[in-house]
Amino acid sequence: MQFSKKWLNEFFDKDLNGIDLSNTLTQGGLEVEEIEDLSTISDLVVVGEIVEIKKHPNADRLNICQVNAGEKDNLQIVCGAPNARVGIKIPCAKVGAKLDKFEIKQAKLRGIDSSGMLCSAKELNISNESEGILELDQNSKVGETLKNCLSLDDQIFHLSITPNRPDCLSMRGIAKEISAMTDLNYRKEINKEINKEINKLNIKVNVINKTACPLYCLREIRKVNNKNEVPGWLKERLKRGGIDSINPVVDVTNYMMLEHGQPTHAFDLDKIKGVIHVRNAKKGETLLLLNHQEITFFGDELVIADDENILALAGIMGGLEASVTNDTTNILVESAFFAPINLSGIARRHSLNTESSHRFERGVDFQYTLDALNETSALVIDLCDGEPSVILKEESALPERNKIMLRSEKVVQILGLYIDENEIKKTLNALKFSFEELEGGFQVTPPSYRFDINLEEDLVEEVIRIYGFDKIEAKPPTASTEILGLESKNRSAYDIKVAMAALGYHEIVSYSFIEESLEREFHENKNLIKLDNPIASQMSVMRSKLWGSHIDALTYNINRGQAQIRLFEIASSYTKSKSGYDEKQVLSGVVYGSSYPEQWGLKSKKIDFYEVKGDLETLSAEELTFKKNKVPGALHPGQSASVLKNDKPIGWVGQLHPKWKQKFDIQEDVFLFEIDLGPLSKKAPKEFHIPSKLLPIRKDISVVVDKDISVDDMVQAVKKANINYIREVKAFDIYEGKNIEKDKKSIAFLILMQDTYKTLEEGQVNNIVKKVLKVLQQQYKATLR
Amino acid sequence: MEELKKLIQQAKDDFSKVSELSDLDHIKSKYLGKQGPLNEAMKGLSSLPNKDKPIIGALINDIKKSIEKALSDRKSEIQIHLMNDQLKNENIDVTLDGKKQNKGTLHPISITIKTIETIFNSIGFSSTTGPEIEDDYHNFTALNIPESHPARAMHDTFYLNKEYVLRTHTSSVQIRYMENNPPPLRIISPGRVYRVDSDATHSPMFHQIEGLWIDKKVSFANLKWVTQSFLQKFFENDDLQIRFRPSFFPFTEPSAEIDMKWNDGWLEIGGCGMVHPNVLSQAGIDYNLFQGFAFGLGVERLAMLKYGINDLRPFFNHDIRFLNQFKV
Repeated sequence: MQFSKKWLNEFFDKDLNGIDLSNTLTQGGLEVEEIEDLSTISDLVVVGEIVEIKKHPNADRLNICQVNAGEKDNLQIVCGAPNARVGIKIPCAKVGAKLDKFEIKQAKLRGIDSSGMLCSAKELNISNESEGILELDQNSKVGETLKNCLSLDDQIFHLSITPNRPDCLSMRGIAKEISAMTDLNYRKEINKEINKEINKLNIKVNVINKTACPLYCLREIRKVNNKNEVPGWLKERLKRGGIDSINPVVDVTNYMMLEHGQPTHAFDLDKIKGVIHVRNAKKGETLLLLNHQEITFFGDELVIADDENILALAGIMGGLEASVTNDTTNILVESAFFAPINLSGIARRHSLNTESSHRFERGVDFQYTLDALNETSALVIDLCDGEPSVILKEESALPERNKIMLRSEKVVQILGLYIDENEIKKTLNALKFSFEELEGGFQVTPPSYRFDINLEEDLVEEVIRIYGFDKIEAKPPTASTEILGLESKNRSAYDIKVAMAALGYHEIVSYSFIEESLEREFHENKNLIKLDNPIASQMSVMRSKLWGSHIDALTYNINRGQAQIRLFEIASSYTKSKSGYDEKQVLSGVVYGSSYPEQWGLKSKKIDFYEVKGDLETLSAEELTFKKNKVPGALHPGQSASVLKNDKPIGWVGQLHPKWKQKFDIQEDVFLFEIDLGPLSKKAPKEFHIPSKLLPIRKDISVVVDKDISVDDMVQAVKKANINYIREVKAFDIYEGKNIEKDKKSIAFLILMQDTYKTLEEGQVNNIVKKVLKVLQQQYKATLR
Repeated sequence: MEELKKLIQQAKDDFSKVSELSDLDHIKSKYLGKQGPLNEAMKGLSSLPNKDKPIIGALINDIKKSIEKALSDRKSEIQIHLMNDQLKNENIDVTLDGKKQNKGTLHPISITIKTIETIFNSIGFSSTTGPEIEDDYHNFTALNIPESHPARAMHDTFYLNKEYVLRTHTSSVQIRYMENNPPPLRIISPGRVYRVDSDATHSPMFHQIEGLWIDKKVSFANLKWVTQSFLQKFFENDDLQIRFRPSFFPFTEPSAEIDMKWNDGWLEIGGCGMVHPNVLSQAGIDYNLFQGFAFGLGVERLAMLKYGINDLRPFFNHDIRFLNQFKV
C-alpha cells in the first residue's frame, strides 16, 4: 500500500507534520518500508511552454527550442526528446537548478547555446517514465515552480500491510488507525450526494451463489462522457497510490478504492445481454480478461455473467469485452461483498494478483458496500455527467459479528502487565469498537471491517498495540525448572565439526538443491525429488549426496588459486521413501591438492587415499573398517572403499573417478567421502583399564604374499586366531619390486605381545611368532622372507 | 718420596695437554693404572719398617687423591668445552616459520548457531530438530495458516507437490515437538529453511532458530525478557536497545517484530508472539491451562551483525579466503 501524505492529511484538521508519522504507523503495526520525498525538487525547475522549434543545424536528433519560462525573454534550450513540439507545457530546469545527479549549467551543445534543460519524469525523479519530456496539464501556469504545479511538497509512504489488516488498505483505514494511536481527530466525510433526477433501473440481477456473494449492489449511469480529461489532482493521487490513469470512469473506481478500500467495478452496459447472474463458473468456460490473458475456469470460481457470456471474474478482474473505454456511454457500476473464503486462492491459481483480489481475499467492510457505490457514482457524475438509476441491492446472510468477552484478568495473564480497566476502555474507544462494560471486563462487538478479531486474544493484541508494547516490563519467568541432561552416548554434530576443523578441513554450507543432470548422473539417483517451482535449473532437485555441490565448491577454490583444499559439510541428504521422504544427516567432504601447505624444509607432497582414510579413522571415536565393496560410480573403482562400523556400511571414501575428473575439468586427484552421521556419532559404552607396568615385547616379521591380498584381511585373520598375549599386529612396511617376484608383495608386520603379570620368556615369544606365521601361511600362502 | 710428590704436577700437566675424553682415559692409566708408579709404591710399602708404613701409606693415598681430583676436574672442563661446542653447532634460526599443517575452520553459521544454543541452553532450553521436507499440515495448517489463506503468500514457498513443501520456517518443529511432548516445554530448534527468493539480501536457503516456551504462566513480559536478554548476551552489550513492534503471524497472538537498535536505526531481527490458542489446541494442549511464547530469529542476520559482514553471499560461495577467518 502506497499513498500521498498530502492526501492523507485531508482526513485530519491538524497538520500531520506535527507528529512523527512514520514512527506512529510503524509502532501501530503498519510498517513503513520506504518514504519517497518529492519535495526535494529545485525551485529552479518551472513550468515552461515551447513556443518555437527549429532543427539543430549540426545534429539530426536535436532541436533548438524557444521556451517561455515566465521570464522577460524566452530561453533557448537544445533538446533531443522526440515529443518536443510547439504548444506543450513541460518542466524546464533553469541554469543553476540542481537535479538528482547534476547541476544545470549554461552550455553549448554542438555549437548552439543552451540555457537549461527540458526534463523527463525520470530526470526529475518523480517516476521511472523516461520516454521523452514530461507533458504537463495544458492549464499549468507558465513560470510556476514545478513543485507547486504538481504539488510536489509531498511524500509517498510505502507501507507493508500484514494480511490480517485489509482495513488499512485504504486512506480512510489508515487515517482511522492514526486517529486511534494519536490524539488527532479523523474526519469521516461521505462525498456529496447526487443532486440529480434518479431514473428507473432496467437491468435484472440473479445472485445464485449467495454464500460467496451475500451482498450485491448495482447502479446504471447512462449518457456519461468518458472522453473527458481526467483532472490532474486525481491522476496525481492515483499515481502516488501506485495506479496508472486509464479513463475517467475506471480512474474513479480505482480512486474510490484507494480512498475507502471497497473495490467497485464498472461494466459497459451496452455490452450486457439480458440478466446479470452471479454464479459459479462451469468447468472449461473461458474468459478473456482486461489484461488480455485468457483463463479457463476450474469450476469453483465465482463469476459475473449475463445470459450469454461471462463478464468478469468476480472480485478479481473484469473481462475485456464488457470493459469501459473512452467510447463507453452507458455504464453499470457494481459494488459487492464477496466472501473472503470463497475468493481466496482463486486469483493465485490463475496467476493473478490485483488490487481488488488483494482486498476481497482479506476482507472488505460489508457495511460500506452501498455507500461506496453512492460515492463512486457521485464522483463519476461529477467528472463525466451521466444520468443515474436507483440502486439495486441483493442482500442475504452477511457475516455475523459475535460478541467477544475481554476479561481484564486475561489481559494481565497474557501480557504479564496490569492494565487499568479505564485504560482498556480508552483503547477500545480509540479503536471505535462498540462494547458493553461488564463485571471484570468488556463485551466487545468487533466492527464489520475487522475480520481478524475473533478471540479474546485478538482483543488483547488490540489493547497492547494501542497501549504500547514498550510499556511491558521485561520480566524473568517463574516456571517449572529442570536441569538439562547429558548426551554421552552421542557426539553432537558440532563436536564432529570441531574435530574435522582440527584435521584441517573447512566447513562449508551449500544449497540442498542441485542441478537435475548432476543428481541423475553423478549421484546416480533415478528417483528424483523435484521442486515444482525451482528458482533456477541448477537448483531444481533435492540432492541425495552432497558431492555434486562440493565439486562446485572445489572448482570455485581451484579457480582462485588454492593449492590445498579440504572441505566438509554436515547436512541432510534427501531420498524418496515409501511413506514420503527420508532425510539423513551425512558428513561429506572433498580433498584436493597438497598434503600440507608449501613450506621450507618439506618436500611438496600430493594428498593420497591413505591420508583421507587416516583422517576418517582419526575422526571416528570407534574403529572403522574399509572394504573394497561396490562403490558409487562417482568413485575410482581401484581407489575407493566402503566404510564400515561394527560391520555395517556407513559410507564411502575414495578418489573421484577419472571420467568425472575429466568432465569437471579438474587436473589433479580429488578425494571424496560421505559418511552417515548417525552411526558415526554413536559412542558405545566403554570400559577403561589401567595399563600394565610391563613393557610389551616387539617382534617383526616379513612375509611375501600375492599382490592382491588385502593387508587388513591378514591382520584380521591373526586377530581372529586369538593367539594368547598378542596386543597388536600391524603392517609397517609394504615392498614390491627388486628381489620380490612379480605379482607378489612383501609385508613387514610388527607384533606386540605382553603378559599381564610377568615378562614373557624367549620360548613363549618364539612360539607366538610361529603361530602368527602359521595363520598367514595357511590362509594366505605367505612365505617368510 | 719427593719423586712421588712431583707426580701430581706432572699428571696435571699431562691432563691439560689432552682435549678428548678418550685420551684422558689413556693418560689416567699411566698414573693410576695397576702398573702405575703409585701402585708400585703401594706394593713397596711391605718392605718398609712398621713405623713408617702408615705415614708413607697415607702420603701415597693423598697423592693418589690429588691426581684423581685433577683428572675429574679436567674431565669436567673437557665436557663443558664439548657441550659448548655442541651448542654452538646446533644453533638454529628460530625466526624461520614453524612447520605446520593448515588449520580448518567452522562455518560462521555453525559458530553462530552454537553460540545461540549455548545461551539458550543456559536457561534450560533444549535443542531439537525437524524435517526440512515438510508436509503442508506441519508447515501451514497446524500453524493456523489454512489452505488459500493470504498469509501463505507471505512465504514464497518451494513446493515438491500438493502435499509437501520445503519448510518455510522452523516453526513447523514447534508443532512436531508439541505433538510428542506434554507441556511444560522449553525448546529451541535451529535449521535450514527455504523461500523462493534470491538477491544480495535474500538466499533461497537460509537458517532460522525457533524458540518455544510453554508453561502455566509464561507471559509476553517473559518473552520480552528472554529475547532481550538473549540479544544482549549474544552481542555482549547489556545496553543494547530492543523494541517490540506489533505485527502479524497466524500462529501467534499478540504478535510482534523484534527490532534492535543498530547504529542510528532500528533493525528487524526476528518475529515473536504468544502462541495462538488454535495452534495449542491443534497440537493437543489445553490452552486454558497452558500458554507461552514462540520466536524465530534469522541466523544469517545475527551472524552478519556479529561479524560486521554486509553481504549474505559469502556465506554460501565456499571461498576458503573468506572461511579461513573463522578459526576456532
